[in-house]
Amino acid sequence: MNFDPTIASITVRAALGRRRALLYAIPPLILIGVSAVLRLTSPADPSWPARILGDFGFSVVLPLTALIIGTSVLGAEVDDGSVIHLLATPVPRRVIITTKVAVATVATIVFAAVPELIAGLIAAGPRLALGLFIGAVAAAIVYNALFVWLSTATSRALIAGLGYVVIWEGVLANLVGGARILSVSHYGLAVASSVAPGHALRPGVGLVTACVLSAVIIAVTLAVAVRQLGSFSLRGETA
Amino acid sequence: MPTGVIHDLGYQRYTGDRYGRAAIIRTLAGYSLRSAFGLGRGARAKIVPVAVFAIMSLPAVINAYVVARGGPRAFPYDTYSYPVRVVLMTIFLAAQAPELVSRDLRHRVLPLYFARPLRPADYPLAKLAALIAACLIVLDVPLLLLYVGTIVGVHGGAAVWAQTTALLPGLALGLLWSVVLATIALAIASCSGRRVFAAGGVAGFFFLTWVLSEVLGTVATSPGTAVVASTAARVAGLVSPFTLLDGVRQWLGGTSPGVVPDPGRLWGAGYALLLLALVTGSVTVLVSRYRKAGAS
Amino acid sequence: MTSIELRGVSRWYGNVVAVNDVTMTIGPGVTGLLGPNGAGKSTLLHLMAGFGEPSRGELTVGGAPAWRRPDVYTILGLVTEGESAYAFLTGAQFVLASARLHRLPDPEAAARRAIGLVDMVGPMNRRISTYSKGMRQRIRVAAALVHEPEVLLLDEPFNGMDPRQRLHMMDLLGRLGTAGRTIVFSSHILEEVAEVSGTIQVMVAGRLAASGDFRAIRRLMTSRPHVFVVRSGDDRRLGAALIGRPAVRGVELTPDGLRVQASDYGAFSTDIARLARAEGIRLRELLPADESLDSVFAYLVA
Repeated sequence: MNFDPTIASITVRAALGRRRALLYAIPPLILIGVSAVLRLTSPADPSWPARILGDFGFSVVLPLTALIIGTSVLGAEVDDGSVIHLLATPVPRRVIITTKVAVATVATIVFAAVPELIAGLIAAGPRLALGLFIGAVAAAIVYNALFVWLSTATSRALIAGLGYVVIWEGVLANLVGGARILSVSHYGLAVASSVAPGHALRPGVGLVTACVLSAVIIAVTLAVAVRQLGSFSLRGETA
Repeated sequence: MPTGVIHDLGYQRYTGDRYGRAAIIRTLAGYSLRSAFGLGRGARAKIVPVAVFAIMSLPAVINAYVVARGGPRAFPYDTYSYPVRVVLMTIFLAAQAPELVSRDLRHRVLPLYFARPLRPADYPLAKLAALIAACLIVLDVPLLLLYVGTIVGVHGGAAVWAQTTALLPGLALGLLWSVVLATIALAIASCSGRRVFAAGGVAGFFFLTWVLSEVLGTVATSPGTAVVASTAARVAGLVSPFTLLDGVRQWLGGTSPGVVPDPGRLWGAGYALLLLALVTGSVTVLVSRYRKAGAS
Repeated sequence: MTSIELRGVSRWYGNVVAVNDVTMTIGPGVTGLLGPNGAGKSTLLHLMAGFGEPSRGELTVGGAPAWRRPDVYTILGLVTEGESAYAFLTGAQFVLASARLHRLPDPEAAARRAIGLVDMVGPMNRRISTYSKGMRQRIRVAAALVHEPEVLLLDEPFNGMDPRQRLHMMDLLGRLGTAGRTIVFSSHILEEVAEVSGTIQVMVAGRLAASGDFRAIRRLMTSRPHVFVVRSGDDRRLGAALIGRPAVRGVELTPDGLRVQASDYGAFSTDIARLARAEGIRLRELLPADESLDSVFAYLVA
């Protein structure tokens, strides 16, 4: 079995303990709140649902939430050394990684995909909302696999991930068409627009490409992360 | 009966001059400024600050080339590298603000600092001064490069004077940006000892508010019509510190077009007040954070 | 009965050699890893625990390498230096989680037993964030003992413990060792090691400087004479003067200087200074010829 409930419960408590869950709730609440306000005030631009749901919700709230959750599920423990308590056990490293990615994905879904669904229902119709939700779920899985791998690859995983989200996905993908092929948010948009076509979601890749590349990225990042975790070295006194 | 004796090793109490509180604050600020650019740590710590500075200076370099070929100044001083500046400052602050404050919190060395003649407010204010200075370097030095690159190509005292008068508001704006952004970033970063969460908080705040205000600004105008300073657009500008700064720039007389429409006199004053509130609020949060942390 | 075997194990990070060509076999019982800070004790323990790959040499635990082999943790327990633990869990939850992760058939009973062994039954339902340093250490030892490992590695386990807790932990380790488990713990405090372990391994600057029974090594130190190389203004005259001193066992005149064998290090050092002064000979160089022994000596006996 690739999932360990003990690790999952420790990860949930570590990542979402105390005030942190409240902080994660702020961006989605803003998303839902702003959608409601816009719905009530009917702004001048008729494409406003795509702007708030797409440019804000899908392209910013989702990746940033996935980034912070994804880099902290493993990164925080590696940082303070408490990952040893998981590693000094016969639990296969594969199970540790997949459990943590699963927890991170579920948390991302709760704090980003579900609010996207709710905001979508408020701002647009059920079709678009459902499409965006499923696309967000798909993107959440890929994002978290990517960010958990980054946590095993470098101690500055958050900055590296931030660079990816802000620079690669935020800036380059808009300017250079080819960059969209390696943009996870476009994979999500591709999935979303296959469920809800005709809503001007403008994904940069086709559905098949998105699914194939997503599967490849998930498989490769998880495999490398497992290998990295299996070669975990403790620094001695000369840190 | 075993005896013991304590030997006189000649230790003497230091009775000379001691540096005072001002020197401690100066040293702390200087050290923090250096670590804001990764100096004194490994090469990896320098990647982000150096890259941000390099990209920020790129237009100045391009401009020097253009001016050398005989063209006029290619970039404005007061909206220099806007809006790329937003992304660059977000990344810079998300990477470096935790370097200044989260490390000390994490390793709980604050009692070491406060066991010196240092008032509780001195530590965060020294760090803040350092971060403001760092942002100032990143924002204003490229402007100076732009200036120098331009005046070597112009002739006559009047032209040089014209460049200088155009430069000064740009520098002042850089200072304003530094104060506002550094204060907010440091206040957020000081809330966590874990670098992941401090950086995530800073990046999340700046990035989310920026995109939100951009989205709200675009939906406030019908597509195809010119951007107009409607109430909705003005409200959109309230959301992000970057748009607030741009609005205040225009309120203060800046004429280059920015990302927000000119807020006008009343709203502009409102923007400025909100900025002031943000800065004072952040400073309060920062100082109160260390009043408690110093005791732990 | 599981033993840990090291053959020519070295570990380096870039230019820093943390462990330098260590060969040893650690069998059942309590072995103390002794050495000053920075000697490589932690690194060696991490290598034994499978959290580091030897840059050279072979290291096996129970016959197979520990590196990249999660199964080794069914017979191995590790207590690292420091205080890392999940502060938001209670002591009982922490040990229980460890029991579950070790796939024990009855995790609750194993956890209760382990907590009882380290004498933490009273505070076990409080959060670890409320524990003192010594209590945290003990609960981490409990988590490492919950699966009754044959090999237990502890990195500076007595850090932060008060004398009563230390005695209790020493007693526990002693009992586990007598029962046939292989216990290795590191320390830079001589007394801790001397009290608990029969065998010690002394590490200095990454090298294994001495191994075996603590008292035997100490005897070796005092019975074996020290060799010094002295270079002076007039070696022959100095040598003649030295041979008359009781602290000096032998003097040899070599082209490189005077080789002096001294049986009493302390007396010798005062003697040579006084003699040189009395004879009017300028001393240029005074070096121990037996580096490794001297380093161990200064550490163990001084």
